[in-house]
Parts: sequence; C-alpha cells; structure tokens
Amino acid sequence: MNLAYYPGCSGLGTSREYERSTRAACAALGVKLTDIPDWSCCGSTPAHALEHALSGALSARNLVGAARAGCDTVATPCPSCLSNLKTARHRMADDGFRAKVGRLLDQPADALAALPDVQSVLETLVTRVGLDAIRAKVRQPLAGLRVAPYYGCIMTRPADVMRFDDPENPTSMDDLLTALGAEVVPFPYKVECCGASYGVTRRDIVARLSGRLLGAARDAGAHAVVVACPLCQMNLDLRQTQVEWPGGKAVDMPVFYFTQLLGRALGVPDAELGLEQLCVDPAIAFRRAAQVVAARQAEEAAQAAKAAAQAAAKAAQAKQAAAANEGGRA
Amino acid sequence: MPVLKGKELRVVGFLCNWCSYGGADTAGVGRFSQPTDLRIIRVPCSGRVDPMFVVKALLGGADGVLVSGCHPRDCHYSQGNFYARRRLETLKTFLPALGIDPDRFQYTWVSASEGQRWKNVVSSFVEKVHQLGHAPRIEEAAPYLPLAEKGDTPRAPLRPPLRPLSYPAAGTLAASLEQLREKIRAALPELDCVIGWQQGFDALHATPLFMRKPEDVDKLTWGPLNVHNLATYLPQFKNRKVGVVVKGCDSRSVIELLQEKLVEPDNVRVFGMACEGVVDMTRVQKTLDAGNADGAMCADTAPSSVGVEGDNLSIEGEAPARLRLADVVAEKCRTCDTPVPLLGDVVEGNASAPAGPAPDAPPSPPSLDALDSMTPEQRRGFWRAQMDRCLRCYACRNACPMCVCRDHCIAESRDPHWTTQEGNIREKLQFQVIHALHLAGRCTECGECQRACPVNIPVLALKQWMNRSVRTLFDYRAGVDVNAVPPLLAFAVEEKNIKEHGL
Amino acid sequence: MRIGVFVCHCGSNIGGTVDVPGVAEVARAYPDVVFSSDTMYACSEPGQAAIVDAIKEHALDGVVVASCTPRMHEPTFRRTVERAGLNRYMFEMANIREHVSWIGKDREANSNKAAELVRMAVEKLRLNAPLYPKSFDVTKRVLVIGGGVAGIQAALDCADGGIEVVLVERESTIGGKMAKLDKTFPTVDCSSCILGPKMVDVSQHPNIRLYAHAEVEKISGYVGNFKVDVRRKATYVDWELCTGCGLCMEKCPSKKSPDAFNEHVGVTTSINIPFPQAIPKKAIIDPTSCRQFVKGKCGVCAKVCPTGAIRYDMEDQVVTEDVGAIITATGYDLFDYTKYAEYGGGRYPDVITSLQYERLLSASGPTGGHVKRPSDGKEPKTVVFIQCVGSRDRSVDRPYCSGFCCMYTAKQAVLTKDHIPDSRSYVFYMDIRANGKMYEEFTRRAMEEYGVQYVRGRVSMIVPQGDTYLVRGVDTLLGEQVEVPADLVVLAVGAESSHGAPQLAEKLRISYDNYGFFMESHCKLRPVETNTAGVYLAGACQGPKDIPSSVGQGSAAAAKVLGLFSRGRLESDPQISQVDVRRCVGCGKCITTCPYGAIEWMELRGEMKARVIETVCQGCGICTVTCPQGAIQLQHFTDNQILAEVNALCLS
Repeated sequence: MNLAYYPGCSGLGTSREYERSTRAACAALGVKLTDIPDWSCCGSTPAHALEHALSGALSARNLVGAARAGCDTVATPCPSCLSNLKTARHRMADDGFRAKVGRLLDQPADALAALPDVQSVLETLVTRVGLDAIRAKVRQPLAGLRVAPYYGCIMTRPADVMRFDDPENPTSMDDLLTALGAEVVPFPYKVECCGASYGVTRRDIVARLSGRLLGAARDAGAHAVVVACPLCQMNLDLRQTQVEWPGGKAVDMPVFYFTQLLGRALGVPDAELGLEQLCVDPAIAFRRAAQVVAARQAEEAAQAAKAAAQAAAKAAQAKQAAAANEGGRA
Repeated sequence: MPVLKGKELRVVGFLCNWCSYGGADTAGVGRFSQPTDLRIIRVPCSGRVDPMFVVKALLGGADGVLVSGCHPRDCHYSQGNFYARRRLETLKTFLPALGIDPDRFQYTWVSASEGQRWKNVVSSFVEKVHQLGHAPRIEEAAPYLPLAEKGDTPRAPLRPPLRPLSYPAAGTLAASLEQLREKIRAALPELDCVIGWQQGFDALHATPLFMRKPEDVDKLTWGPLNVHNLATYLPQFKNRKVGVVVKGCDSRSVIELLQEKLVEPDNVRVFGMACEGVVDMTRVQKTLDAGNADGAMCADTAPSSVGVEGDNLSIEGEAPARLRLADVVAEKCRTCDTPVPLLGDVVEGNASAPAGPAPDAPPSPPSLDALDSMTPEQRRGFWRAQMDRCLRCYACRNACPMCVCRDHCIAESRDPHWTTQEGNIREKLQFQVIHALHLAGRCTECGECQRACPVNIPVLALKQWMNRSVRTLFDYRAGVDVNAVPPLLAFAVEEKNIKEHGL
Repeated sequence: MRIGVFVCHCGSNIGGTVDVPGVAEVARAYPDVVFSSDTMYACSEPGQAAIVDAIKEHALDGVVVASCTPRMHEPTFRRTVERAGLNRYMFEMANIREHVSWIGKDREANSNKAAELVRMAVEKLRLNAPLYPKSFDVTKRVLVIGGGVAGIQAALDCADGGIEVVLVERESTIGGKMAKLDKTFPTVDCSSCILGPKMVDVSQHPNIRLYAHAEVEKISGYVGNFKVDVRRKATYVDWELCTGCGLCMEKCPSKKSPDAFNEHVGVTTSINIPFPQAIPKKAIIDPTSCRQFVKGKCGVCAKVCPTGAIRYDMEDQVVTEDVGAIITATGYDLFDYTKYAEYGGGRYPDVITSLQYERLLSASGPTGGHVKRPSDGKEPKTVVFIQCVGSRDRSVDRPYCSGFCCMYTAKQAVLTKDHIPDSRSYVFYMDIRANGKMYEEFTRRAMEEYGVQYVRGRVSMIVPQGDTYLVRGVDTLLGEQVEVPADLVVLAVGAESSHGAPQLAEKLRISYDNYGFFMESHCKLRPVETNTAGVYLAGACQGPKDIPSSVGQGSAAAAKVLGLFSRGRLESDPQISQVDVRRCVGCGKCITTCPYGAIEWMELRGEMKARVIETVCQGCGICTVTCPQGAIQLQHFTDNQILAEVNALCLS
C-alpha cells in the first residue's frame, strides 16, 4: 500500500511551513511519502467555478500520475486540493463525466483498474498510523498547551464526498492533539468559515468571520488555534492585525498547523517545522503553556505539602491519644 | 399473441400478492412510467414460484423472467421467500448448463411500499433483457456434437482413476464373497428377499438377483460386472423386510432413500462389499470390437466366462480377450471416493488405498468438464442434438434410484400438466430439466440414468452440474448423512453463499 | 365453459391510454369466451348490474373483469358474480390500470398488453373450479399491543363492547407519550386530566387483563385463533403484594438512577413508580443501578416494604394467551437529535428535546413545573424552538413530515409565556402545518396574542457563548442571516418508528415501510386494517399522528374487531392446499417445509400420506413447489392454472 503525496501549490509558496512540517512529522513517524511525478495544480477555486470537466481533468491528471507511480492512495495536506481531488474522483464514477475528462487527458484514467483513494494528511495520520502509535512516539508532550482545533469549512463537507469524520463536529484533530498531550478546549466554530479568499476582494468579511473565530478561541481559554488549511492559517495568522476582535484588538493568538505541533511533540527540531514563519509569535503560546504547567506544579506542591502537614498532624494526634490512653490505663 | 415487433420483448414476472404485486400497484398509483414488456402473473408467495415455471417460460420463448417477493424476514407467510431464494438461486446457477444466459432470469425483493423501487427494478431488468436481445431458441440452435466426428458417442476422454483400481487375488475375492453369502443366508429367514447380482444372459453381463431361498444365494456374484444400482428396487419393497447388496456408491442411494423415509431403517438390511470399480459396458464392447477389427469376434459372440484378478479382466470363450480395468471402467469409478459402503449391516473386504492425497474438492467429472468447455451457444446446440436423439423412453428415470414418484411422475400426468406428449425438443428437454431439478440436493451421481439410456445421451452431466451448484451454494453433498436436511427443504435467514442480486 | 369478459374504461383512467373497446373485441376470439364488452365503470352499480345481467342472459359460468388491481376490487366483483349465482372463485381479474394504463403512454403497446393480460386471465379461468369456504370458531378475545392513548382507547372500546382484552405494555405503566405531556393543543387542557381517567378505567375494567412491563414474544395461528406468548419481564417486585405506597422510593439509597419517564431530565431512585398517576401503580427495580444488583448488598427496600413484596430473585415469565384478533398500537419514538452535530449533538446541556421540555413544563415533572435550565437551574428568559429536527430532512434519512411538531411547538411557546411572563420565544420553522380543527387559529394566537417570534428558516448552528447560546440561522423571508442569543433551545424532534417495530411486524407477518412504520391495507379505504387478517393498526405505529387521530384510530380498530367478532363463526379462505392421495407417495417433504405445521401424516390403507389441516393452512403454496409429484396443489393457484398463464404468454 503505497502513499502518494500531493503538496499542492500553496505548499511551495505561502504555506511552506505546512509542507515542511508535514514531511518532517511523517518522516518522524516512518510514513513514506511518494511524490507524484510531474504533478500539476488541482485547479483550485477558479477551475471548478468555470468548468467541472476541466477541474476534473486537472485533478484526475494527478490521480493518474499517482496510480502510475504505483500508489493506491494520495494524501494531501491542503483541504482545497483534497476537495478537488475527492470531488473529481467522486464524479469520475459517472461514465459520462469520465469520458469527458478522458478527452482532456493525455493519459486517460480508463486504463486503470481504479483511481487511487484520496485522503487528507490528517486522515492518513489518524487512520493509517493510528493514535496509539503516535502517542507512543511522543517525546515532548505538549503539556499545558490549550488549543482550539479549527478544521475549516471544507475538510469534512460535503459529507457524502469527503467521507471522513463528522461533517459538523469533527474530532480527529482533537484526538490527535490530545494524544500529543495538549488540552483541547471546547471550540464551537470548528467548521465555520474564516472568510477564505474574500481576504482579497472583501476584506471586511474576513475581518468579521476570522475575528469571530479568534475571539471564540480566546473566550474558550485557548493559547493557540490549530489549523489544517493554508488559507485558514493565512487569514487567522497573517491578518490577525486586521480582524475585528470582539472586545478590542489583541494580536496574541498563535495559529499553528497541526503538523507543526505534531512535529514538536515528536521531537523534531523547530527549524524543520518552520515555526519562524508564523506571524504571531508562537512563543506566546508556549510561554502560556509553561505558566499553566508551573502553576499546576505549584498547586500540586502546595497540595502535597498540605497533605503532608495533615498527615503529620494526624500522626501527632494519634500519638497524643495513644499517650493519653496509656496514661489513663496507668 | 405475438410480441410487438421491434418494440417489446417477452418478459414474464411472477410476483407475490402481498409485497411485490402491491409494490407494482404502488408504482402504478404513483404513475411511475415503466417499460411495457413485462407481463405479471400473480402468485400468493414467492415460495409458490416453482423454478420449473421459469424454465417453462424460458424454453417456451420468454426473453426474460423476473420473480419478486417480499424482502427476507418480511414474508407474509414468514418463510416463503427464504425457500424461494434457495430454489431460485439454484435455478440461476443451473440455467447456463442449458446454454441459457442466467441474466435472463432474475429474482429480487420489493415491498408493497416500494413503488419507486419497483419502477427501477422493472426498468433495469427490461433494459438488461433488451441488451441481451431476443432469446435464442434451443430447438433452433445449430446441432453441436463435439465428439461425433471421431465416430464415438459424445463422451469425454478418459482420465486416470483416483485410486489404482485393482481387485484382490481371485482366491481372496472368492473367500470374501463366500463370507458375504454366509451372512445373507443367515439373515434370509427374516427377510422377504435379498437383492443382489447374478450372471445374466452371458458371462459378460450381470443381472439383478432376488434371493428368497438359501440356494438362490449361491448365484450371487461379485466383481466389476455388477453395474446396476440395486437401491433402485428398494422403494418397491416398502413396508416389507428386504435386504440389498451394495457397492460403495450404491450405499449413498440407500442413505438418500432412508433420509427421505422412502424405506424404513427397520425394514432394510444392507450387505456391502468394497468395490474396485465396475465396467462401462459400452467401452468394453468398443474395446472388444476394436481389438477384432477383422470381424473375428462379433459383439454377439457370447464369452463363456469372465475372470478378474488385480486390474485385469480376462474374457474366455471363442474369442478370448484381456482388458485392463482402467481402460473400461465406468466414468464415475475414476473419481470415486466411496469404494466402501458408507452404511451396511455387513461390510466385507477392503478397498485399495487412493493413489495420492485426497483432493480438496471432489474432482470434476469428465462429462461436466466437457459441458464446461462449451460456449453457451454450443451448449444449446449440444442439447438440441442430444434431444433430437432422445426417444423419450424414460429409461433414465426408471433406472434412477431417486425417482420415487414412479407411476406419478409429472412427465406423464395431465394434472399437473407440465409437459405435453409431443416429441419435440422443447418437451424432451423440459423433462430432462424436471429430472435434474427434482434431483437437486438428492442425486448421488450413481450414473444409472446415463447407463440406462439406449442412445447414450450424457444426461448425467445435467445432474453433475446441479450437484456442483448445490455443493457451491449450500456446501452439501447428497447420500452421506441419513439425518441431514437437504438444502432445498431448509433455509438460512442469512445465506452464506447467496449474494443479493442488485437490481 | 362460457366465459364473459368485461373491460373497464375506469373513466379516462384506463380508456385514456388503452383502446378499451378494441381489447374487448380481441377478447371475443379467446377460447370459451362467449361474451365480451367494454364498460365505463365496472365497479359502479350499473357496471355490476351489467355483469349480473350478462351472466344470466348468456348463461356464463365464468367472468373476467379487466380493470384495476385485484387487491382493490377483487372482493367486490366476487360478490357480484355470487349475486348472479356463480361461485365467487369462477372469476378472474386482469389488472390493466395499475399495471398498464397508469405506467405507460404508448397506446398501441398498452392495448396489446391489456389484451394479453385478459388472455392470461381467460386461460386461468378456464381451469378454475368452484371453491367453498368452511367455517370455524373464533376466540372472542383481543390482544392490544401498546398502552398509549391509541391502545388504551382500543382496549376500552373493545372491553365496553363485551369482549375480553389482553393489553400488553412494554413499560411498567400505560399512558405512553401522552402521559408525559403537560398540556395538549389546541385547547391547552391538562394531558393527565384527560388521560388519567381513561388509564384508571383500564385498570378497573373487568374485561381487561393488563400486562405491564411485558412484551410480545411469539405469535402463531391465524385470524380467529392466534396464540400469543407474552414475556412478563422481571420487575423484582411482587405486584400482587405491592400497594404502590412509595415507601421504598423514599428510603432507596440509590438516588441517581436514570429517569426514563422524565426523559432523563434529572434522576430518580433505583426502585420507583414512574409517576403518581401510573397504572398499574406498582414499584419496579432498575437492576442496572440498584445496589443490591450492582454491589450485591443493600436490601433497604426489602426491609422497609410493609407488604414484603420485594423479590430480588424474580425471573422473566412467559404466559400464553389465546386471542382471535390483534390490535397493534405501539406508537412512535423520538428522533435521535444527537445526529445533528451542528446543534451540539448532545454536548450542550441547555439544548433539549421537546419532550424533555414537556417534562420541565409539567407540574408533576422533575422541576415541579418550573422551567429551569438543566445546566444551572436558572429560569430562561429567551427560548428558541427549532422545528423539523429529524423531519423533512433527507440528509438524516427522515424525508417525511412528523405532522404534530408545528402544533406542539406553538403550544410550548404559549406555555413558556404562561410560565415566564417576561420571556421571549422564537420559533425557527420551515412551513407551519396546522391542518386540524382549530389548529391554524391556535398558531395565530401564539404569534399574535403571545408574541411568539416566528422565523421562517433553518438553523445552521448553535454556539455556546458564555452561559448562553447563539442560535444562528437564516430568515428566508428577509433573506438574511439571523443570530438569536438563547438561554434555552428546544428541538422539535420528529417522530420515528418505535424501536423493535420491524421485529414485531415480522412476528405479526405484516408489512412495514422503509422507516419501520406499519403498512395499512389501503392508504385511504382500509387505514386500520393490515394485509394479515385479524391484525389491525391504531395510532402512530402506522405513521406519525396526533392525539385525536390516534384516539380515532383506536376506536376504529376496536370497531373492526367488534365487527369481526359479531359473526358467530368465521369463514376460512378456501384457497388452501389439497392433497391428491392417489399421487402422494408419502415422502413428507411438504410436512418438512410447511411454515405453519398445517400438513400432517395420515394413514390410508396401510400407507402414510400427507393431509392438509384446513383451518391451519394459510395458502402460501410452498408445499406445492416442494412436492415432486405435484400431489399437493394450492387451490386457485394450481400448477395447471399458473402453467396456463405461462403458456398463454410463451407458447402461443
């Protein structure tokens, strides 16, 4: 069972740190990624907005390439690519659509027994590697780190195409982060829209929607937001100075790719995870986590001291009572 | 009434009254447009649909047949569709033996509320039938006799037997036989008679022997000439005490008869002996004829005696000859795995050990291989040619130990009137199908039907095909266990080997 | 034989796409047909009279009517030919409406098909024989399954009609869903005030035997003579001795048992009587939480019970009852709203179901009728109601309308205002379906008098915000997204079939639809009958229904049973199997396969033969296919009759 890897265009541009941390984390977990030879853009938003067959052909070209490279599954970190690849595969089940796409391709899919399966890197990690295996490889647990997992709007929807996790309340990233030792805060906006590419044309929409997300994460007590999508990351991180924070401006919510935290927990050096490329300083989150740990330790110490004092008092009391008894008998 | 030319094909539906007929009504009430080809016959339950109705329709010119009942577990009669599923699936696997495309027959489940589903079922089935086009008629197929050009009757080539067929030395064999005779003599006083074999009109032919007096027992013979399956006679002795001498294969027929309560265990005594194979008289005759191409020996020159020792058959008389048993042994003996009777009050002798390890599945008999190797079109031509030669003498039926209906065989009755007395290919084939379907899960492949056929039609192949279906679908082999419930008289709520047919 | 054929136009239903006179003309040439004509409405009075006249005038001894489905009018026409002196089985029907005219528009193909169907009917009729029903005794007792309001009504009506009733209820008390309601729409009268007296009547009626906390395990037999095994589940309290004093509940130390009656709003004691008006008012122990069962020690209830009724070692008991008819009134269940993750999927304590809210409103509920939020016990000031949760939603496989949610939501909004005068209520709805008497007026009052804010649109998500919730949805009339902060959200969960309904249907041998609701015999004309004689439906087991409809069906089913029993003896269907003893070889295969045990051995001149027990045979025909000799033939569906139909299609 060979796994092809489809980084997507943004992986080579704006989300290079996602790409790097994905490869680093997979390497640390022993997941072998086969690059699709001569891969091309999935068509992103413009292609399917114009012409479904064209969009299908762009995605199918990559799927055919993966199959020819001997892979039965394609994993991609980017939910937008995921959506395009999965939708293309879904539509190719229809003979008419398949024929239309076939006419656009140099190497049509018809020669293949089946198109490879498509999954997100998140799904690959959770289902193929498994949480137990990941938990066993954690070297540096993310103790004290309170995170709001944010899946974005298209990773699980539409449900009958994506077929992964609950479409309205996904929990796979929650489980993964918990396995890494982080504390997942209840975050109701897991699959709400961040404003996506409206950041270019209608900045006010992104400001409102992303602001709502960040505010909710803060209200829930999160130290950081964890995402799985380059566009979401950009809106929440890069534009954090532009968003409408409910209750005043505060640029202090680091936005990680889940692969970055995964890599960190597995002991991958920060340099390989591209943490330096985040806009909001990730150290803010780690500092807060450290404070939580310290406070907890202090409390534990206090509790222990209290318990010891109580035990000592009890022992003294018992001794006294015993002595009194002795005395009485005497 | 003719089918509308160019527009329609002949599609017959059998629908249960409670679910599917109601579903078809629901589709009508919903005005779901459907192809007009289908003609629906209403029956109370899919369990009422005799697979032979389907065959009757397909042989009669239907291009497709659809059976629909209640969903499993929903049967109005609680179990009818479970029985139907087994019967119809068995039929579906059997149809290719006749060269009929199994896609022309489909069965499914539609409830009374599923109007939309009914529309889909009808539409997709009729479309499938249209893709297949007009059903080719077997009586119009080009005759196909693959082995005829070699001057042979259409039989498959020889294959080496599973075991070294070798009778014990003459003295040992005689001693065993004498012991058997002794046991029979001892039991005879309390029995009406014991059925065995004796020499027939010449030394080469055995014939059934009915031993009533101790001196009759002296006539009992044993050897490769005892071809008859004497279990065939047992049902006639119902309610009387009777003994029967059996070979290994014959014992399976006795087991079947016991299982079907057509003989009572208290009334039958079984005497058995290990068998090393019996001859195929046609091959013997052919070998003898071939060895005397100059005409020195005619087929009607009676041999004075026939001896067997090891795997040698020595024929003495005016034209002595030596034959190797392996060359003339019956087809069934080549794949026999029950040389020793499976039951018997008395069993004498030991069988030779198999040549190699036992195969995982019983080896496929040669005549079935031959049928398998044909295309559907060739199979139609094959049966067309065979049925051309059929005399409709019913010797196959009369020799069959499992044809227990005797005088009430539906091939000769008017109520029910399954076949007419016309001597055409359709009616003759219909009879052969009836025989095969009635033997589903019952036939032990004793081969008596084929042996008895005066024109050498390989009718056994149909039963072998059916047996293979039954084995694959139900993991069942007839004539092994007296207490087993045969698969077509039972059902499983979840069938292990029957997949739902998507429609 | 002299056969008459009548081809029906059914107005334009058939005549529109079938050449009806042409079919009648073609039929004239069929064998044995001596008379053939078309008729406008064969089932109408003049239509039937024409058949009777033709039988007399042409001395017909068999009739074919080509019209609608025999499932509709076969009984009608059988009576018609009987009036003219023929045996009712000397009649056949060709279904040229549901199976021809309504499913295709090609006139030529339709006419040809109709003519062929008539031909098949004629060929079959030529082999029909007169059949005569036998009569048999009826056990004049009825089993009512389910003690909700429909079952209660059916039981009381039957009992008042003088027949014995066995009422089986799965829970430990009757009352069903209605017993959990606070008030009922559209009159807003107290639910327990109108249901309570009926429940008491059930317990006191001399003709009603009530098995509460019991389930139907097995049903055998047939109309007039069913045998029913009822499993009385262990209650661990001897109900003969229990007086319902409630002392055990007061003393029970295990006070955190799940409270199913209160829809898990709050907790209860392990031994309890679900509510004060319970019938029977008897205590029952929940062994999953009782300390005696879980930890093996406690025994408090046994010590305090004044009558010594506690039986920790009680086991299930199966009793067998003979009845002549069965009414199923098994009701419905609520849709599992946790499938809606966008509404919290059960994560948010203050997002509750309508029935939970009903318990909060009820004076006998866990809060004593004070509306309090489950999370913090505070009184909500803004309540949002979301309609169609699990109704009219294909994404959760519930495409149907549950029917009564619009009305109870309006009622609950009104009651909210009554309980908390300074509260505001919002209702998100798709359409307001208020199609009963006084229903529309009631919803109007909710909006106009009580100021309930109705928003037409779906809710996309509920988000907790501090200790309140933000309900985000769309107002499709304004074409805008709306957000409403709410203290409490009430989900109007839809109705789905009662758990275990398909299994019960299989025991009853009745049909059910894709959603588990039982199928009536005819959607309009036989709404409480099933296709299994002697089995009737009442209430929401057939489909979502409000209280008046359920009560109406309860009475209707009772009327059907009383009608059935008013005949001294029942007639058996003569379409059963018959053995030709001359052909039977006594192999017993039919005996093995008969699902009813309706075939037995008999000795005939020293030989064993099969024999059909006429009152037990149900006429499925499994035996006919099993018999290799064709010695056992299902009457009216004999091999020859079906072969005649096959041959009419294939050989000619």
